[in-house]
Amino acid sequence: MSTLTADIRVTRGGFSLEAAFSAPPGITTVVGVSGAGKSTLLLALLGDKSPASGRIGLGDRTLFDGKSGIDVPVHERRIGIVFQDALLFPHLDARRNVAFGMMGGDRPEAWLERVGAVSLAARRPADLSGGERQRVALARALAARPEALLLDEPFSALDPAARSSLGTLLVALQREAGVPFLHVTHDPGEALRVGDRTIALDRGRVVAQGRTTDLLSGSLRRIAGIGSDNWLRGTVLADGSDGTRVDLGGTVVATARLHRAAGEVVVLALPAEDVLLARGEIHGTSARNVLAGEVVSLDAADEGVDVVVATPVRLRARVTRAAVSELALVPGARVWLLVKASAFRAAD
Amino acid sequence: MIRSALLISLLVATLSTAFAVGLGSAAGWLLARRAFPGRELVDALLSLPLVLPPTVTGYYLLLILGRRGWLGDLAIPFTLGACVIAATVMAFPLVVRAARVAFEEIDPRQRLAAFSLGHGSGSTFWQVELPLARRGLAAGAALGFARALGEFGATLMLAGNIPGRTQTLPLAIYEAAMTGENAVALALCLALTAVSVVVLLFVGRLGRGRA
Repeated sequence: MSTLTADIRVTRGGFSLEAAFSAPPGITTVVGVSGAGKSTLLLALLGDKSPASGRIGLGDRTLFDGKSGIDVPVHERRIGIVFQDALLFPHLDARRNVAFGMMGGDRPEAWLERVGAVSLAARRPADLSGGERQRVALARALAARPEALLLDEPFSALDPAARSSLGTLLVALQREAGVPFLHVTHDPGEALRVGDRTIALDRGRVVAQGRTTDLLSGSLRRIAGIGSDNWLRGTVLADGSDGTRVDLGGTVVATARLHRAAGEVVVLALPAEDVLLARGEIHGTSARNVLAGEVVSLDAADEGVDVVVATPVRLRARVTRAAVSELALVPGARVWLLVKASAFRAAD
Repeated sequence: MIRSALLISLLVATLSTAFAVGLGSAAGWLLARRAFPGRELVDALLSLPLVLPPTVTGYYLLLILGRRGWLGDLAIPFTLGACVIAATVMAFPLVVRAARVAFEEIDPRQRLAAFSLGHGSGSTFWQVELPLARRGLAAGAALGFARALGEFGATLMLAGNIPGRTQTLPLAIYEAAMTGENAVALALCLALTAVSVVVLLFVGRLGRGRA
């Protein structure tokens, strides 16, 4: 399967973007505050803005190479795009929008069905809601059988319910298409819900990339202006009057009642200050979560030190510098984390 | 005389509108989409016939296309072709302006979306840009048609005033009025007014129609 790789330098006015990353099949979310270079990156990958230097590759094809002068035009790149405002062709109905770029003997209706919009086939874009337009835009982009799909904050103008259901749809469509999706978002909940991998951009530089769940939430907070130290994605195991149990992927935690059905995916935020750290196992505590783990790293934070602990899910606990030396906290040290159920907050 | 002038006028206005829309759409697209040095100067030059007295434009045309013109003897003056050329030149700026605005109003990302779906420039122009610009282009065509229909000065300079050959409605009206044939002048005026009303109705319908 094809992987989208880029190592490029793009200048646009006084702004310069330097980005080196690879996006394998799966959903790679691109996060960063506005002005971080997200749109510039997408335009360069799409072929609308030529990099000053570098290389862009998709599978075994070279789309851009500054040294050998290769610059494949947009219409031959086979990279699809879904814009924030869908940008369907206003003079064509949903069906003909989808048919516009279609390859092979598909029927547009089949694509509309995949996105749950088959009943909208005869409608013009002006008669569709925001969420419906994005569904049709997804069908239109995928019907052209792209080898990579770029999504420029496609759900940011939608209400939370539509955003959530389109996120679920996006994941299903990616699994079916099997090509890299590069999904720009400023919503951390969305990045965690749909993202397999994440690239964090800051002032035109890639400052972090990796598996979304591994990508340290602390750096995401600093980079993307996202208001929590620990972003966690999990699946609801049970939800009852005495709280909800969530599997974070190897670590099960108890939270206050979230009112989510078992099996549902939730995104939780947990402030690092709300995580207590002990060198020995603690018994008889009111904290509902006592998690054993191993210190992975120590990061200097604004006030104190963030101790990253693998439980195996990585959690950040904020402690003072004095505590670091008193407790002899070094990478590899065995520790226990104490977290109150009410410290977890559902992000959406 | 009334009939031949009306027929000549309709023929000249139709042909010159067709030429003006074809060339004007291309010029409008270039002005809207391509940044090239001197773009605004080109725009200003193309708009000159809009502000120059028509007789001046007509005289320039005579200098270029006349019997001893810069392009040699093309046997153009005093023919129906001369009427069409004069009317095309006069209608052209209106069409270019309308076309430029119509193309500029299309979100440039629409082109990008079409490209990303595998369509090249040509296919994108015919299937996306032209349909999206069609209302503006049609309005430009209607204005150009009206301008061509009413053309007097440049036509007189280049094509003369030969009844049954180059005498369009406005020229026939002038001649009828000058020779005291008031009934004929009035009939010709009514004919011209009727055609103009139809054009206005057409433009109004475009304005109210859906995109």
